[in-house]
Order: sequence, then structure tokens, then C-alpha cells
Amino acid sequence: MTRNTRILMSVIYWAFIVYLFVPLALMVTMGFKDSKFIGFPIRSWTLDWYTAVIQDTEVLSVFGYSMTIAISTTILSLIIGTWIAVFLGPNKFRGKAIIFALACLPAVIPGIISAIALRIFARLIDIEPGMFAIILGHTVHNVPFVALVVMARLSTQPKSHIEAARDLGADSIVAFFRVTLPYLKPALIGAGIFCMLLSFDDFVRAFFLGGYQPTLPVLIFAKLRSGMSPEINAISTIVLIMTAILGLWAERSMRRLNKGS
Amino acid sequence: MTFWGALLHNGTYQAVASALFKTQRRQFLILASLPLFWIFFANLGPIVEMFWIGFLDSYPPKVGHEPQFTLANWAAFFQDQVFIVPFFRTLAFSFIFTAITLLITYPVAYFLAKHVKRKNQLLFLLLLLIPFWVGEIVRTYAIMILLGNNGAVNLALKSLGLIERPIPFMYTGFSLGVGIIYLTALYMLLPLYSALEKLPDNYLEAAADLGAGAWTRFRRITLPLSKEGIASGCTLVFLISTGYYATPVLLGGPRSTVFAETIAGFFHVAGDQWPMGAAFSSIMLIATLGVTGLFLKLMGRDGKGMMR
Repeated sequence: MTRNTRILMSVIYWAFIVYLFVPLALMVTMGFKDSKFIGFPIRSWTLDWYTAVIQDTEVLSVFGYSMTIAISTTILSLIIGTWIAVFLGPNKFRGKAIIFALACLPAVIPGIISAIALRIFARLIDIEPGMFAIILGHTVHNVPFVALVVMARLSTQPKSHIEAARDLGADSIVAFFRVTLPYLKPALIGAGIFCMLLSFDDFVRAFFLGGYQPTLPVLIFAKLRSGMSPEINAISTIVLIMTAILGLWAERSMRRLNKGS
Repeated sequence: MTFWGALLHNGTYQAVASALFKTQRRQFLILASLPLFWIFFANLGPIVEMFWIGFLDSYPPKVGHEPQFTLANWAAFFQDQVFIVPFFRTLAFSFIFTAITLLITYPVAYFLAKHVKRKNQLLFLLLLLIPFWVGEIVRTYAIMILLGNNGAVNLALKSLGLIERPIPFMYTGFSLGVGIIYLTALYMLLPLYSALEKLPDNYLEAAADLGAGAWTRFRRITLPLSKEGIASGCTLVFLISTGYYATPVLLGGPRSTVFAETIAGFFHVAGDQWPMGAAFSSIMLIATLGVTGLFLKLMGRDGKGMMR
């Protein structure tokens, strides 16, 4: 590779980083603007929008609602996803490729179609739009991600682990809980945080499956439709900081996957 | 004695466990129960139900009217420009956005995999990952601030004296493209990076020793060996970008209405016309999966390993 193309590529990389970070940086900056009007230039600064958000009971209750959904979704997704991984990973049987493809299906179906299909399905199984419908929708969407991460981790576990446990008198249930599960821990933490982020950030499923109570992204969307305001920037910035912390934690946990056990 | 030891010596547990795991076959069936239930109930169920509702004349059922089988919902799609135009616009937009994303992220992924020192790669990758953890709505809002009439781009152009009046970027296909690419680029970047990272350096060195120029090396070695990543990345970006609803509502305008908005209209705006919405969703699902299936076939791959 010649020197010029090398320089060109590093320029493209940094330009891309600028493209990724500048919009977010602008959004954060605008949350400190001392005016209701969104846009440049900014003449004076304030923290009022943040104090307003922290005292806003509606925002706080919506935040709690979103958190409840995200945590419930994560627990369900981890259980079902891990079970699917343990079933599909080591076992060989006829039709496995089809079952595997169907297991991954919800992860690749376009969001709007998945939301509509789940809305209709919730009506069929008699779940009212609201928290349970959203939890179902998010779990359906998140399970494939958990299953794939856990399967990848499972494939690196030495067979001797289980054999040793069995020799020492454990049956398959005990061997799973005492040997396999601890081995999967970094994958489960990583996948779990990823699920929380997916659920907390999701708009389209929460929008179509939700009742009168909005989740945080749905609330921000509703506020945006009635006009931009620095208050939205303050909410978004708080969400942004939380997601970044959670994401970095997930990344740290997942990185151990590559290093073996 | 530990909990697990006590459990293993508990009479009731032993009886239940030995009944459950009597034979290999029974053990396999128990292990398969929840996964198979979940896959058929939760993954396949909604899709099948959606297809079925698309063939009914009314749904949810009204009192005193039994839903009848009909093809009218599917036929309606082909009869009205109001539906066909957004449909093909969505496919065209997604196709263009996917192509642009590939062109932008390929050099980024290549730089990361081949020019950044191995011990720094994680840091450089992390820098790319952070923005993608932020949700769809927040990132869409960030783009609105960037491109608005009083946005940063217009301000910058104005202060440089290049324009007098703000350029109306917002509510066009352009602002929608900037937003969608912002949301989906990672799904292209990661498969490309993992494909390029596996490419051995000595292949390129050998080719250079044999007299191949930079362009030949790219065309004959790098590109074919990163085909896997290109295929996965394009598939993911295409499928995901057709599915956004909030982003086109916030960033797009009347001349860039996408099919997701058309479908959503049947469930929200125009009263509840579920069968029509279901039929249209089915058409879109067939079209998007059809296009990606064909694409993967052309790339010489089946669907396997798409998620990796």
C-alpha cells in the first residue's frame, strides 16, 4: 500500500469519526443553551434544563417504566436465549439449519414489520397493548442476539469440563449450573447489557405495542413532533451518558471472550 | 454440604431427575421443548398470523360480522400509486444507502484492520462503537440539530460566506440518508472489519513481490477475500434500513415518504385497517427477504453465518 493511500484512509477514518461524534456533541451542547429556541448561535448558557428534567415527575415515571421493561426483557431474553444456545450448540439433528435460521429470524426482520406482526399477534393471544406486550416484543427481538453470543462462547468450552463434572457425580442439570454457567458468565453479562440497551433504546416496537403510558424513546418522539426544545436535549444527554457507560461495561465483559476463560 | 451436593442427594430430586433423563432421547426432547416452543410460537407465530390477517376482509372481528377470506387487500397494493411509489422508493433508498454505507465504511474498516497497530485496534474500534449504543430517536434528533435551517452545517456555511440563506437540508431524501446511514453504518463496519482482519498480510506482500500494483492487489486479493463481510454487511444494512419508522417521520418530508409510514398509517392515522396493513407488511417482508436472498445467491453464499 502506497503512502498516499495510507494517508487517505486515515483521513477517511477520522472524517468518519467526526461524522459520528459531531451530531451528538452538538446535541449535548444545545442542552445548555439559555433559550427555548434550538439553533445556533448560542449566546448564554444554563443548567436550568437539567434541573427541570430531574424535577419532572412525568419524565421520571417514564424513565422507571422503560427501566422495568428493559430489565424484565433482559432476564427473559437471557433465559430463553441461553436455553436455545445450549440446545442448538452441541446437538446435531435433522433440520437443525432450518431451526437455527428460524431462531435468528427476528433479528433480521425489518423493525416496522416485526412491530406490526407482534401487534397483531398480541391481539390474537389476548395481550392488551402495554407493558407486557412491549416486554414480549423486545424479548422476541433480543433472544437471537443472546443465543448467538452464548453459542459462540459455548463452542470454546472444553468437553473435559463437563466430563470431569460428570465423573465427580454431577448429573446434567448440576453440571450445567456449576460448570457451564460460570464459564458462560462473561458472555451472559455482555449479552445482558446489550439486551438492556436494545430494549431501552427501542422505539418502533414500544410505539406499536405500547398503551397510553409511553416509554422514554416514545416520549422523546412525541415531544419532538410538537417541536424541538433544549429540554429534549437534556433528557437525551442523560440517556446518552447512561448508554455509553453500559456499553463500555458490556464491551469490557465481552472482550474476555476472546481471551479464553 | 453445599446446596448442589444436598440437591444431588435429595430423594425427590433424584426421582424427578432420573425420570426426566431416563433415556438420551427423553433428555434431548426436554432440552428441545422450550427452544422449539419459543421459535414456533414467538418467532414464527406473529409472521404467520400477519399473513393470515392480510387475507381477511375485517379484523379485529366486529360484532355480527364473521371475517371473510379475500384477496382485495393484496390487490389494492397494485392498484394505487399512493402505495406503489413509497414501496419502490423504500427499496431504492435502502439500496442507495447500503451502497453509500459500503463505500464509506470499507476504507474505515480497512484502515482499522490493516494500518492500526494490533494493540491499538480495540481502542480505535471502541471509538466507532460508542455512538452506536445511543438509541434511534436520540441519534435522529442529533441529525435534526446538525442539518436544520439554524443547524451547525448551515451556520458553518454562512459564517464562511458561502451561502446567504440557509440550505433546506431537512425533510428531504438527503437528510433521511444522512440519518439512516448514521444509524446503520456499524452493521456494515463490523462484518467488514472481521473479514479484513482475517486477511493475511503475506498474501498482499507475495502479490507485491510478484509485481502486482496497488489496484491489482485490491481487486484480485483484498476484495475477493472480504466478500463474506461485504455480503453480511450489505444484507444487514439493507434489511434494517427498510424497517425504520421514526427516522423517516422526523427527517423525511412528503416527497420522501417511505413504506413504513404507509404501513403505520393503517394502524394509527386512518383508523384501524389492520388487514390492509398486514397485507402490505407481508408484501414488504417478501420483497426485502427476496432481494437479500437473491443478493446472497449472487454473492455465492447461502444465508448461513449471516449474523456473524
